[in-house]
Amino acid sequence: MYRYDQFDQRLVDERVAQFRDQVRRRIAGELSDEEFKPLRLMNGVYLQLHSYMLRVAIPYGVLSALQLRKLAHLARTYDRGYGHFTTRQNIQFHWVRLEETPDILAELAEVEMHAIQTSGNSLRNTTADQYAGVAADEIADPRVYAEIIRQWATLHPEFSFLPRKFKIAVTGGARDRAAVKTHDIGLFIRRNAAGELGFEVVVGGGQGRTPFLAKTLRKFLPEADLLSYIEAILRVYNEFGRRDNIYKARIKILVHELGIEKFAELVEAEWAATRAGALRLPEAELARIRAHFASPPYEEIAPPGASLEAERRADPAFARWLRHNTAAHVKPGYAIANISLKATGAVPGDISAGQMEALADLAERLSFGEIRVTHEQNLTLPYVKASELYTLWQALGTLGLATPNIGLASDIIACPGLDFCSLANARSIPIAQRIAERLKDVERQEAIGELRIKISGCINACGHHHVGHIGLLGVDKQGEEFYQMTLGGHAEEDASLGTIIGPAFSSADVVDAVERVVETYLGLRAPGERFIDAYRRVGAQPFKDKLYAAH
Amino acid sequence: MNLEVVTANRLKDGRTVYLGESGWSENLEEARLAGSAAAAQALLALAERSVERNEVVGPYLIEVIEEGGHLVPARRRERIRAEGPTVAAGSGRQSREIV
Amino acid sequence: MPLIKGGEVVEDPWRLLADDEAAPAEGPIAVTLERWQQEQNALLSRAAPLGLRLKAGQHPQAVAEEVARFALIALEFPKFTDGRAYSYARLLRERYGYKGELRAVGQVLRDQLLFMHRCGFDAFEIARADAAEAWRKALGEIGVFYQPMGVGAAAVSERRRELAIGGGNLRGNLGRRRA
Repeated sequence: MYRYDQFDQRLVDERVAQFRDQVRRRIAGELSDEEFKPLRLMNGVYLQLHSYMLRVAIPYGVLSALQLRKLAHLARTYDRGYGHFTTRQNIQFHWVRLEETPDILAELAEVEMHAIQTSGNSLRNTTADQYAGVAADEIADPRVYAEIIRQWATLHPEFSFLPRKFKIAVTGGARDRAAVKTHDIGLFIRRNAAGELGFEVVVGGGQGRTPFLAKTLRKFLPEADLLSYIEAILRVYNEFGRRDNIYKARIKILVHELGIEKFAELVEAEWAATRAGALRLPEAELARIRAHFASPPYEEIAPPGASLEAERRADPAFARWLRHNTAAHVKPGYAIANISLKATGAVPGDISAGQMEALADLAERLSFGEIRVTHEQNLTLPYVKASELYTLWQALGTLGLATPNIGLASDIIACPGLDFCSLANARSIPIAQRIAERLKDVERQEAIGELRIKISGCINACGHHHVGHIGLLGVDKQGEEFYQMTLGGHAEEDASLGTIIGPAFSSADVVDAVERVVETYLGLRAPGERFIDAYRRVGAQPFKDKLYAAH
Repeated sequence: MNLEVVTANRLKDGRTVYLGESGWSENLEEARLAGSAAAAQALLALAERSVERNEVVGPYLIEVIEEGGHLVPARRRERIRAEGPTVAAGSGRQSREIV
Repeated sequence: MPLIKGGEVVEDPWRLLADDEAAPAEGPIAVTLERWQQEQNALLSRAAPLGLRLKAGQHPQAVAEEVARFALIALEFPKFTDGRAYSYARLLRERYGYKGELRAVGQVLRDQLLFMHRCGFDAFEIARADAAEAWRKALGEIGVFYQPMGVGAAAVSERRRELAIGGGNLRGNLGRRRA
């Protein structure tokens, strides 16, 4: 993973000192709240319902064991002993004090971390897929480009007062494990006919009040032009993005209103002027960054032979966990291990300080000291020897982190919602918990197969409900919490936005409604047909009929 | 007649507070009650001066009702602000307590 | 309103001309884009310096070929959150080759001075009594930037090498930016 040199370290250290002074001036009244708000947002400090919240950046979701231990320490020292992982691979602390945030940032800087631009109308954390560097179907490691973008985007003097927030995601090949089509800029790594590396650039995706899937802006962008092209997009957005209405200020609205062809014209015209300039990436710089993401010192192992197979046969619970929570690794003898933060009754995405410390130890012992955060609020250990999976599984079991439900019905994404967030209209966590409780039977979940349920507590869609197979949007109807259901959303390369299925369900009825959707699917699916495929085949009507049948 | 109190968040730590007799309190029971529009505006004006002194941010009026001998906010959002999240933090009952 | 230039509060010799005001024969005057577009010849026939004041949303490409005519270009920030002028500044300096005074006007706050300076502004109308002190502090806060900016900007990789060669413990040494 990327390691800071003196340049990187100096930047975060100076940033801490700068923010410390800004906080001092705010508390002393030298800065008004209106002047201070954008400054604290650009350091990830939100004011929520009960408290300040700090959103710490985890660049493209990658953490070292050392960093995870520091997060545990921060949770204990400055918060209430836990943290929350988000759909943008960041971590949030929900109970910090403004006056202590400079100290928290100083401690983060000690382990090469920060909270820069995790909020505000700026360039946010660039996310990548959590199997970066270890997936067999990868063309090139997306973390390399996510890091290049991260540096270019950090404290960018020209682009720190954009019309609205700006999110970029990179995926390593044709498969999209980073939901790039829901981002302002999405990048698919590609090779052209000559075998050269580059990107398909998509633009104008976004969820929220008016969801859009990103459209192709450029089919192939050469590797060396990555930053100059992104700069051209940002400059066009900075100029033309609306500033009169925050609900129309994202680039997705601009792309939609201009049309992709006109938008592309503007970008290409701007790019013609920037392409040959200082942002062209020399091979030396690409190589420098790439070197930070070289493969770890893998052992040469004969493919997992008797031991794993024997362990699998001997223990059905282990076999089940293997089935759902592990994925094939590019290196023979290794595996990708996913850690579910969705135990029944858990708050999705939450993790305690003790769990963080134990996982840091496990990462160190079993995964070359590295752990990743997924955009679905789970964790991934990317470099586990197949022969050590059983040991890992047992250890995870003692921590309550071995739920074998990755991608299944109880692996629910939920935003913090009205329990925490000042933007929310309804709670999402209790709904996630009740659904998970209703569907907790593992065999039933296996019978259902892949089902992605995503819940947002308001229109801002931090729970990504628009791209849930079943999506729920919390709304307030005359003081009561209701949930509008969408079906058929999907967050991979064949992305789709969910369709609103009918009138919203009350809090009392929504779990039954979800179960009825599941039962309907089971009743009409072809053998082995996933929920999303069945929905795409039959459409919404069979579900509407069952959900809203006259009583 | 609607009863109202003034609520805000404390600047230094962001905690939910209510305007009481002797300053801001985290306890809703200690909040000063306004029973008329004029009284409510007067409380809000007091709160604004506190903003100027950099003690709190974003004060506003909320309706409270009596329930079982206690004062509770009328709106769910405000109940959650007063009483805390309705969910227990962390990773559920399947985990053993790792302190 | 104090004007900061070269790290100090200086007198402002410029006069902003209203669109319907007659242009005096002498003295530096700044006009709006509309006035410039309508009266170019008359304005240029004056022997005195000419300035231009652009509103947010008035892209400087309107005067890209003619920047050498102006000794002052002022860019407005109607609200400090309106970031368009940061792009305009860079384009004026780096693409159109503007070399005169580039002034930030409008809601110019201390915490944006550093970014403005980085984008090419060299003069700032800032409504505070301690303008020079605010400037000095603001500019000293961050000494390293990932983005090469300005005419002939060195690539970041060069700057890294500089720092690496310089060595030593940089923590706590914030350095002083050349203002």
